[in-house]
Amino acid sequence: MSHDGHHSVVVPAPGPEFVPHTVAHHFDTPVQEFQAAKLGFWLFLATEILLFGGLFAAYFYYHEMYPETFKVGGHQLDWKLGALNTTVLLASSWTMAMGVRSAQTSQKQKTLMFCGLTVLGAAAFMVVKFFEYSAKNEHGFIVFKNLFAPYDEATGQLAWFQPHGTEMANVPHGHMFFAIYLTMTAIHGLHVIIGAGLIVWVMKGVAKGRFHSGYFLPVDLVGLYWHLVDLIWIFLFPLLYLVP
Amino acid sequence: MTTNVPVIDAHPAVPSLPKNYLNCSAGFMSWAGTLDHKRIGLMYLIGTGIAFLAGGLFALLVRLHLWEPHGMLFSNETYNQVFTLHGAFMVFLFVIPAIPGSLGNMVMPLMLGAKDVALPRLNLLSFYLWITGAVLATLAIILGGFDTGWTFYTPYSLYTDQAVVSIGLAVFTLGFSSIFTGLNFIVTVHKLRAPGLTWFRMPLFVWAIYATSILQVLATPVLGITVLLVAFERLYHIGIFDPRLGGDPVLFEHFFWFYSHPAVYIMVLPAFGIISELVSVHSRKPLFGYKLIAFSSIAIAIISFLVWGHHMFTSGQSTYAMFAFSFLTFFVAIPTAIKEFSWVATIWKGSIALNSPMLYTLAFLIIFAIGGLTGVILGSLNVDLHLHDTYFVVAHFHYVMMGSIALAFFAGLHHWWPKMFGVMYDETLAKIACGIIFVGFNATFIPQFIMGSQGMPRRYATYVPEFAGYHMASTCGAMLLGCGVALMVYYLVASLLQRKPAMENQWGGVTLDWQTPTPPPLENFHTPPKVVHEVYDYSTLDLHSMQRPIS
Amino acid sequence: MFALLTQDPAKINYVADPAKAPTLDAFGQLPELASTFGHVDGLFYFTYAVCIFFFVLIVGVLLFSVVKYHRKTFDQPAASNVTHNTPLEVVWTVIPLIIVMVMFAWGFDGCMDMHYAPHAASQNQFKATAKQWSWTFNYPNDPSQSFNEVWIPVDKPVQFVLESTDVLHAFYMPSMRVKRDVIPGRLQTVWFHPKKEGEFHLFCAEYCGDDHSRMYAKVHVVKQSVYDTRPWDQWKDATPAEAAASGESLYKQICASCHSVNGTPSVGPSWKGMFTKQGENYVGRQREVVEGGAKKTITVDDAYITESIQKPDQKKVAEEPYVKNAMTAFPTLEERKIKGLIQYMKSLADAK
Repeated sequence: MSHDGHHSVVVPAPGPEFVPHTVAHHFDTPVQEFQAAKLGFWLFLATEILLFGGLFAAYFYYHEMYPETFKVGGHQLDWKLGALNTTVLLASSWTMAMGVRSAQTSQKQKTLMFCGLTVLGAAAFMVVKFFEYSAKNEHGFIVFKNLFAPYDEATGQLAWFQPHGTEMANVPHGHMFFAIYLTMTAIHGLHVIIGAGLIVWVMKGVAKGRFHSGYFLPVDLVGLYWHLVDLIWIFLFPLLYLVP
Repeated sequence: MTTNVPVIDAHPAVPSLPKNYLNCSAGFMSWAGTLDHKRIGLMYLIGTGIAFLAGGLFALLVRLHLWEPHGMLFSNETYNQVFTLHGAFMVFLFVIPAIPGSLGNMVMPLMLGAKDVALPRLNLLSFYLWITGAVLATLAIILGGFDTGWTFYTPYSLYTDQAVVSIGLAVFTLGFSSIFTGLNFIVTVHKLRAPGLTWFRMPLFVWAIYATSILQVLATPVLGITVLLVAFERLYHIGIFDPRLGGDPVLFEHFFWFYSHPAVYIMVLPAFGIISELVSVHSRKPLFGYKLIAFSSIAIAIISFLVWGHHMFTSGQSTYAMFAFSFLTFFVAIPTAIKEFSWVATIWKGSIALNSPMLYTLAFLIIFAIGGLTGVILGSLNVDLHLHDTYFVVAHFHYVMMGSIALAFFAGLHHWWPKMFGVMYDETLAKIACGIIFVGFNATFIPQFIMGSQGMPRRYATYVPEFAGYHMASTCGAMLLGCGVALMVYYLVASLLQRKPAMENQWGGVTLDWQTPTPPPLENFHTPPKVVHEVYDYSTLDLHSMQRPIS
Repeated sequence: MFALLTQDPAKINYVADPAKAPTLDAFGQLPELASTFGHVDGLFYFTYAVCIFFFVLIVGVLLFSVVKYHRKTFDQPAASNVTHNTPLEVVWTVIPLIIVMVMFAWGFDGCMDMHYAPHAASQNQFKATAKQWSWTFNYPNDPSQSFNEVWIPVDKPVQFVLESTDVLHAFYMPSMRVKRDVIPGRLQTVWFHPKKEGEFHLFCAEYCGDDHSRMYAKVHVVKQSVYDTRPWDQWKDATPAEAAASGESLYKQICASCHSVNGTPSVGPSWKGMFTKQGENYVGRQREVVEGGAKKTITVDDAYITESIQKPDQKKVAEEPYVKNAMTAFPTLEERKIKGLIQYMKSLADAK
């Protein structure tokens, strides 16, 4: 914006391996810029929670309506795998927090290491999720190849839900539990993937030396996002695996 | 959108005009990639304006069809698609984004004394999400249209063989456009106020936009997940809203109105903000009850989250729910009434300029009185059981959404037009158009009140013959209204070509938006402003700036 | 796109024979009340009067101000710079608050009246089944159904149990002031106490698809003595001619919207030519159908027609332009009535 005759504020780099940060032209100070972005991001996180809030509302509504279905449905999930994933995500939240801390103290290598560990955590989470989905597929609770098959009005059968010979065949509207399970975990999984992508993007910036004690806003925000992903799982895990 | 940009560029302002946001750079990319809030606001204005004209065209087709009891133009199915398009275009592409997107973007940072909104890139992203939503909505028409009504009530929206997924994704995208705009404005109000601009020195337009933004951020995600669930329902039959699969369609109604009732205030609060500004400026008098108006905006925002059930009084809710929803609905009438009274009290003993923005404002005050008061009729539980889903409701919400919001938008457009472009439109034509719109609007919707209370249900492609007279009257009114809007579009576009220069401070405003050069420079203020006076202090007005053409 | 702008005459679905318009009440705003829910009218007109009072007040002050205080010279200051007046603001907050609380209490009280059916109403229970796009009525202690027309006795509280077999509908009778959504999978009821004899509109008030506006029923409120003659069941089938005549009236109620008798294709095939007369016998035409996924040609006969009425998806017509349209099933239609319809269908082949 130099052609307007305006000079933006520049935050100096703490060392030769770092790049100075230029504050956006419409902010007067780096603090103002930091606070504005942070406030905006917290608001965004609120919208994310509200978005999941709709799903949680649907969960409670149908849990109330078909308690038997949710009880039996919950027993079909492997709580050990769920607990493993919870541990993985909690650990990755810690590594992310450490990553943010290292960025704030301008420790480039440590930041990269912790961010890398977090991405590994995300990958581990998705692998476990894959095995869980495969098991559901095998039992006929979620037949993925039939997911988009049209609904057969004459028989009233769902192509993607074939629980023949299991307990789920005897409860009312057994598909309801797995529909909610799939929708919630898939949307959460999408958030895990997006979060991992954001961390990789942040790592590129770290490697170039753009983030340091004078300017670590993107690392901070991505960290917040990752904690949100973790937080939502903390609610999903007991509701789906344990409450029944 | 792009077709209109050259109109501005092709007339490189009067040579003496100093550098401003319109002429500081040229070319397609300088607009498509701009981060300037004023240019983004202008693009929103063109985009939402086109959506309004398209939605209006659908409305005229609907009215023409209903000229005869058995319908004049379409098959029932096509009629259903046309009224759905009218509703969906008007609500999602025009009424919700129009005022915050165009005037909010254009004026609010100026009023705060800021150089831009807090997150300019997010602002541009909001606009492109809007464009994406508009494209998806248009795609849904090409894919065969959709006939669910703008409310997408399940299970019909799950069973119909039409492009519901496409319009669902359009609504989802537009929702995020709206969320990002709201988020951006909240941050801007919190972090970018000029020195001395305390909360209670902010113009009421800013207060209104701020309250709106809170609603946008808190309500829209629920709509997002709801339309997403409808799309999933159609793609892989999750069964949540499908009674064949044990789902409950009433849950959809709860989800939908949890958003869409606050959405009514997302639409109307910015209009209140515009009227608050204009009433003060054109009466040259500080706003009566400034704090009460500011607080009533926030009160409306909060209460609006708790009244969604009044759209569902006939769905068999528990009596406790009906008790609470009806009580709170009446409660929300109070802050709304306070606003109307305060505006009237501001005009009382003012120095009232009868120019076109003020005429639109007066038209708003009269129409909004009717729109608000008929809302009280609908709030009563037993009366609502009779009037729900009739033309009475249609007329009521058109008095609010078209009569009040669109008229406030027009008022604001006329008010800030000279500020935005540095040119003045033909005032005589503007006054005539305002009169035609006012008469046409009332002629359209007063017959709808009458036939609604007599029992004419809404969303009918054909009707029993006893209502024919009212429908004819309503159709005549709609045609008149259409002519008024066409005239308005004509003289506004003509003003850009004729380039009659505006005054420095065309109306004598004292808020910060009138203390920058006209049109504003790219960075809004040559020297960062400091606020030392209370808001609306007309003793500080430089009267001669109202008579000095811009140079 | 241009094709969209012209009306397809085959697709006009218009209620050709609605009840005659109800007389309006003294103020010309509401149809004359035919039930006991007078509190709706009372509160409506009370609110109306309050609204007119405030509207006149607001517009009066506005017009007065515009006339008296409009700006004569461009530099004219405001006549007053008062920015608030606490007593005035309290007054215009508290008075509307009191008024709306009165309205709320009045409205809630009335709503409770409409919500809880008295014992007498639940002893006189009808059933209304809504489907796209027709109403079917069942009578208390009576095996017969009627379609898009219902008879109820005057001056006796009545309750309708509402059921939907597909999407949302709503049961709306303006003259009775009642409306209730009909929701698939949920039990909904509505009651009222008819006080006037006559014909009344029953509209569907919740959007339900293509022919929403045609989803109409005529409600006959009649004296108990007339009701006791069971006017909904004037079925006569002593002779084939009587059966055909009864079949014709039933055809007009439930079949005519999708099947013509003059050969014009509509939603479903026309009945003209379904049978031809050869000597004294009626012979059915050939028809291509799909059964269990397989295409075949069959000859139309009584058994096929009966099956098509009860289970239309069993053998679906595979001819254009009907392929994509599905017929509504009438699984509970009495056998004698199906026979009457077939008799009427056959009578179309007679002479002419």
